[in-house]
Amino acid sequence: MEGFAEILPLLMFVILIPFLFSGFPVAFVLGGVGLGFWLLAVSLGLENPNSFFLVISRIYGGVISKLVLVAIPMFIFMGTMLERSGIARDLLNTLQLMTRRIPGGLALSVTIIGVILAATTGIIGASVVMMTLLALPVMLKKGYDIPLATGTIAASGTLGILLPPSIMLVVMADLLSTSAGGLFMAAIGPSLFLAMLYMGYIFIRVWHNPALAPALDEPDAENQALSTSMILRSFVPPILLIAVVLGSIFGGYATPTEASGIGAFGALVLAFIKRKLTFPILQDVLEQSALTTTMLFGLFVGATAFSYVFALLGGHDLIIHLMELTGTGPWAILTLLMIVVFLLGFFFDWIEITLIILPVFAPVIAKLDFGTHLSDPSLTVSWFAILMAVNLQTSFLTPPFGFALFYMKGAAPKGVKLKDIYKGVVPFVLLQLLGLITLLLWPDLALWLPRTLTE
Amino acid sequence: METLSARIAKVSVWLILILMLVIVTDVTLRRWFVIGSTKLQELEWHIHGALFLLCLGWAYTKNAHVRIELFSEKLGPCSAAAIELLGCCLFLLPYVGAILLFGYDYTAFSVEYNEASASATGLPYRWIIKSVILIGFALLGFAGIARLLEAIVFLFGPKPLAEKTSFMNRPQHTTGAS
Repeated sequence: MEGFAEILPLLMFVILIPFLFSGFPVAFVLGGVGLGFWLLAVSLGLENPNSFFLVISRIYGGVISKLVLVAIPMFIFMGTMLERSGIARDLLNTLQLMTRRIPGGLALSVTIIGVILAATTGIIGASVVMMTLLALPVMLKKGYDIPLATGTIAASGTLGILLPPSIMLVVMADLLSTSAGGLFMAAIGPSLFLAMLYMGYIFIRVWHNPALAPALDEPDAENQALSTSMILRSFVPPILLIAVVLGSIFGGYATPTEASGIGAFGALVLAFIKRKLTFPILQDVLEQSALTTTMLFGLFVGATAFSYVFALLGGHDLIIHLMELTGTGPWAILTLLMIVVFLLGFFFDWIEITLIILPVFAPVIAKLDFGTHLSDPSLTVSWFAILMAVNLQTSFLTPPFGFALFYMKGAAPKGVKLKDIYKGVVPFVLLQLLGLITLLLWPDLALWLPRTLTE
Repeated sequence: METLSARIAKVSVWLILILMLVIVTDVTLRRWFVIGSTKLQELEWHIHGALFLLCLGWAYTKNAHVRIELFSEKLGPCSAAAIELLGCCLFLLPYVGAILLFGYDYTAFSVEYNEASASATGLPYRWIIKSVILIGFALLGFAGIARLLEAIVFLFGPKPLAEKTSFMNRPQHTTGAS
């Protein structure tokens, strides 16, 4: 009996996994399995029959009344609104003209747009679908290598989850009890580094074999002359919005929540100026944002119930105990966690991984000590969170179940096969791993900026 | 029941706009007039909470909650309906039931003690937001029952009726996971 009670928390995961794959909404499976185990514990006399009360107060205290989480619907609204106001289309047209003489120019433009979109919207689905619809047909028409084209779009589109303002970092900051603004700062270095890796890779590939990505030298009918006013008109609004939102957070003028409200308002104003703000569009954007928010928070509430029951049953002690039992140092634990998250990424999305895994391991992470590897030990949690974030960004790209790949398949022209998309992301997944390892060995890639800014 | 949860949700989506205005007001007051308001800040998370709680059921009807469709997408409509039926019975409804049962006490407690914000300048009447938890989960329960009945009709009901259910045309995801 004693032994059974001890392995109960582990059993929760064993039972959870097959049900997750049933295809029933994850949010309710988590809540249901949590409840089931609580009932089991009560019937075994391990739990007080009133302790589910604590789950409710946990949902209220940990999800509903957290001011920082309010930033999430605002950032989602901001992203969805900007997507509808046609900013990406303008950017792509301009960049396409600017880079037409460079071999692989279109692929490089896609990466640059990926970065800009990432810093404004941060909604992977929107970025990938938009770039697939806008850029992929043009790339194919110009005779681009299909895997190169699809890989570039999929990888660049996923930068949004990493580059601030990112809703994933807000959720992580909350779960690890650290500041969202701090994580935003720490994410800048690694995400720009990844974008540079992509661009370097594209450049080298095309350098060796120009046939992969023919330059767009012959003027198209739709190619108007490039004017300064066109560049200004397409670049200034999104860059201004990024500067206001991120600048106010980094400069310490606003909390992420405040900045998100301002950003949402800015997106609304921008849509109004571009004459895209009609009642049906607004209604639709509001409904889409509400659905995405609810999807995320439904899962948040379910995961809270699950992980709280896990904690009630002594799961945290068990995990710490197991870690001590193996007698491994912080490096082994970290590496193990990273490998587990990477493997989970083949099947799950960041939301499930973050919300299920992070609460379980949070107490372990706080105790890790890397000695002199980190210049400032107080930044261990930030470093860990960014490592996790880069790792989770990869989960969007890893077949068979990468969300970015499905979005892309849904929006791509008929001739593009899923096989081409899978083939295209392989080099980018390797680049992601290169980025992850760099960040492991050289934490300052992430930590330099927050340290310098706070000094 | 589905219409009820959808109607309430369609109204609640406007909370996003209200939330935005509240934050903008809060920031303007705080920065330029140096009037920090705890009330406004608390209002922000109240609105946010109400927003997602009131949309829970509607999102289920619209099939917006994340599912792991790795294996299930290959299944036929009958198996899908069976999974939905079992899922509602095993997970969704007991979960909603437990939240309502314990949440009722939780809210009643708050009403009884006339609980207010821990901060002296915060909002009074904490029971309002706490009862929104109950309303939100009740709406989710309604949406779950509606879907459960739909699955039963599809699996065991007469053919013409079964063809009217959403299982005939597999619903597509309405949102992507951010």
